[in-house]
Amino acid sequence: MEIPIKVTVNGEVYEHRVEPRMLLVTFLREVLGLTGTHVGCDTSSCGACTILMDGKAVKSCTLLAVQADGAELLTMEGLARNGELHPIQEGFWREHGLQCGFCTPGMIMAAYQLLEENASPDEKEIRRALEGNYCRCTGYHNIVKSVQYAAKKINR
Amino acid sequence: MKSTDAILHTRGESRYVDDLPQPEGLLHAAVFFSPIAHGRIQNFDVSRARQSEGVVAVLTAEDIPGENQIGPLIPDQELLAEEEVVYIGQPVALIVAQTAETARKAAGRIVLDVEEYPVITDPREAYQKGQIFGTPRTFQLGDVDAAWPHCEVVVEGHCEVGGQEHVYLETQRARAVPGEGRVIRVYSSTQSPYAVQKHVARVLGYPNHLIEVDVLRLGGGFGGKEDQATPWACLTALATWYTGHPVELVLTRQEDMLMTGKRHPYCSDFKIGVTREGKILAYEVRHYQNAGAAADLSPAILERTLFHSTNSYYIPNVRLFAVSCRTHLPPFTAFRGFGGPQGMFVMEAAIARVAEALGMPREEIQRKNLLQENDLFPYGQRVVDCRARRSWDVAMETYRFSAWKKRVEQFNRKHFHRKKGLAVMPICFGISFTATFLNQASALVHVYTDGSVSISTGGVEMGQGLRANITTIAARALGIRPERIKIESTNTTRIANMSPSAASATTVLNGNATLLAIRQIVSRLKSMIARELNLSDPDRVTIHDEKVWYRGSQTGWTWTQLVQTAYGKRINLSAQGFFATPGIYFDKQKEKGRPFAYHVYGTAILEVTLDCLRGIYTIDAVKIVHDLGRPLNRLIDLGQVEGGLAQGLGWMTVEELLFDEKGRNLSSALATYKPPDVYFMPDDLQVTFLENADEPIGPYGNKAVGEPPFMYGIGVFFALRQAMQAFRPRKDYEFKAPLTPERVLLELHREEVRQGCLRPATVESARQSD
Repeated sequence: MEIPIKVTVNGEVYEHRVEPRMLLVTFLREVLGLTGTHVGCDTSSCGACTILMDGKAVKSCTLLAVQADGAELLTMEGLARNGELHPIQEGFWREHGLQCGFCTPGMIMAAYQLLEENASPDEKEIRRALEGNYCRCTGYHNIVKSVQYAAKKINR
Repeated sequence: MKSTDAILHTRGESRYVDDLPQPEGLLHAAVFFSPIAHGRIQNFDVSRARQSEGVVAVLTAEDIPGENQIGPLIPDQELLAEEEVVYIGQPVALIVAQTAETARKAAGRIVLDVEEYPVITDPREAYQKGQIFGTPRTFQLGDVDAAWPHCEVVVEGHCEVGGQEHVYLETQRARAVPGEGRVIRVYSSTQSPYAVQKHVARVLGYPNHLIEVDVLRLGGGFGGKEDQATPWACLTALATWYTGHPVELVLTRQEDMLMTGKRHPYCSDFKIGVTREGKILAYEVRHYQNAGAAADLSPAILERTLFHSTNSYYIPNVRLFAVSCRTHLPPFTAFRGFGGPQGMFVMEAAIARVAEALGMPREEIQRKNLLQENDLFPYGQRVVDCRARRSWDVAMETYRFSAWKKRVEQFNRKHFHRKKGLAVMPICFGISFTATFLNQASALVHVYTDGSVSISTGGVEMGQGLRANITTIAARALGIRPERIKIESTNTTRIANMSPSAASATTVLNGNATLLAIRQIVSRLKSMIARELNLSDPDRVTIHDEKVWYRGSQTGWTWTQLVQTAYGKRINLSAQGFFATPGIYFDKQKEKGRPFAYHVYGTAILEVTLDCLRGIYTIDAVKIVHDLGRPLNRLIDLGQVEGGLAQGLGWMTVEELLFDEKGRNLSSALATYKPPDVYFMPDDLQVTFLENADEPIGPYGNKAVGEPPFMYGIGVFFALRQAMQAFRPRKDYEFKAPLTPERVLLELHREEVRQGCLRPATVESARQSD
């Protein structure tokens, strides 16, 4: 049995029929081909699969695609506008907030939600916003700096 | 210089193995593995799985056309178990289906009955029962037995250090795609494309040249994909060979944690003898390495444990013994530091015990015994260009250690149940593969007629910044903008027989190979321009800023003009460079030689605050002076130091890998195994690079940086121990890592725990203080 769903992803409307048990991340990666969202642990521990659903950061590996029916989703691929990097993306690049890049999409999306709600977070608030995300390559300091860079740029 | 990869990462456009567009007819695989640690297979029935809807094939050892034997040093591991299983997580069958979910579901229909045999998980027990890999190794210097009577103080002790899960964020994965004829192309998340090529060929009974391995990038490796990426690549290739379809295998996190090897747990015994002033005269250690169920890289890792067993100290009389023990756990494997950290931990523990026996600060004993120029390492290499004392002195001065220590002591006098600890951690780490033959690399450079450049090397990008490093090196050597340069995927058809990206040596080896290739092209271009312009001395021609210069003046020629003219004149615009590290050798019969091109030194100072009633602690500060040679890309180099440190601190504190007596991994998910999170690292992290410290081998004066910073993390164990001593001094705190908050608590309140309660007095004093 397949269930019809309608979702808006990065501003585009998609209508698909999906298996009720299909994970949201599988829908994004395999049905829509949006491979910028990664799967790191399958159990919502690592945060690599973080996306925005109706403005809230969610872990797409533990949501079903059908739960996103009618929702507006934002993924990594939707951040840059007309080829211009979003300040958070620029921050991760400038401050070397990444190494292997696998956790980066989740980190960026978690930070995006934070800055939407609080454009001038202090360091504590930044760390709180990222506590659901693991990075194994860095020691997180540059990731925090990347978010600070973005906040500064947004407020300019 | 930032990596071109970084831009792709921030846009979500960088591709990992399973992000590549899916080829027509792609099938998905799942692994059925042994749920029993040791036993004989009695009944093995895959028929119900085979009949499941959506399942294309279920492959077992019988279906392997070539050899069912893999392993980097000796092929002692079955790709799919035949008659006996030797660890939980050992692959027994591969299910190939339309979707990964179908394949996993079908795996549940496989019947496997195993007659259980006794399980060994303890390396000492394995050793006693003669279950070892290779032969035990012993490094000796001086005469340790003759030295004991001259020692004024002799102490002994035991150490136990745990393993460590890699937690590369990208789990193991591979995709095999059929090519023309019998060719199979394998996209693998491996640090060792050649190992994959060789093993796939062996398993299929093919010559190597029919297998093409391509690696674009890894989502982290840390040693865990040096040789343990191989089985998954072999399995996908086997499935492609069998079905004729492209096949992909992506392990789930839990599968990965159950099935793959990790850093080796070690048990060690030490004996150390010193003068009353703290000069170490003799040191003896016996390391029992828990190697798991197959040799994997364990004997090589064991060797590096021996190389680093005296860390950055000179001890005139040593006997270092180490043995690799076979247990019924997943084969333990490479992980940043490659056995070195385990050896260094025991040395530091021995010094701590001596300090406690003499009532002398630990750092005083460390300092008194630091390596100096022309000393001998126990393996016979002379200490040259030693920076042990230099990095120590710079650290003491830069970070005002004496004042810092006073502040800590003051804090401890003022507070009852919160105590601070301070530790110094010097490191010395040898750079080169200890298997001398692996110290070779090649690069292939093409210059196209529009002036753009393509570079292939044998190095694999896994987040360490190799692409950025090679780009920096090449842009500098060619005198052109980095934007003109593209670093290609690592591919066995372009680079043959490459060594793994490991041993911190990837930039050293592949950077130098790239330089050698570029110099050939540049030399041809210079000769050509000298002919064109009638210049008497081609050696005085230089290319920089995309322009051609002669004796320091512009010739009016640009890079693109130069390249186009060269093409028109039929000058070869491609070159292959080959680099082999000079002057290294090691004689395993004598256990002496010069295995390392050079050593990396450094000193870290670490401070912790411990809540002695709850066992919880914070790492407040880590301040490092590191010997990097000349930085190639400061941000990337710093990232390596910080990332390595985080893993080292994690290994010593919160990362607890646990197996029960049945060989079951009790920490096989990120819910039960805790890597450092965003709160873990010290707020105060400072890194200073030694100035004027160029390394002649380079490239460009740079020193290898991948592994050494990991070992600064060992210091946190001793900072915590010091904090414990400040709360409740005792000589018998165990040297057992990781020192999790739970273990700290159990150690601090050993008697109370035994009696079942904290002493009221302790609780009362705590209430009154802080």
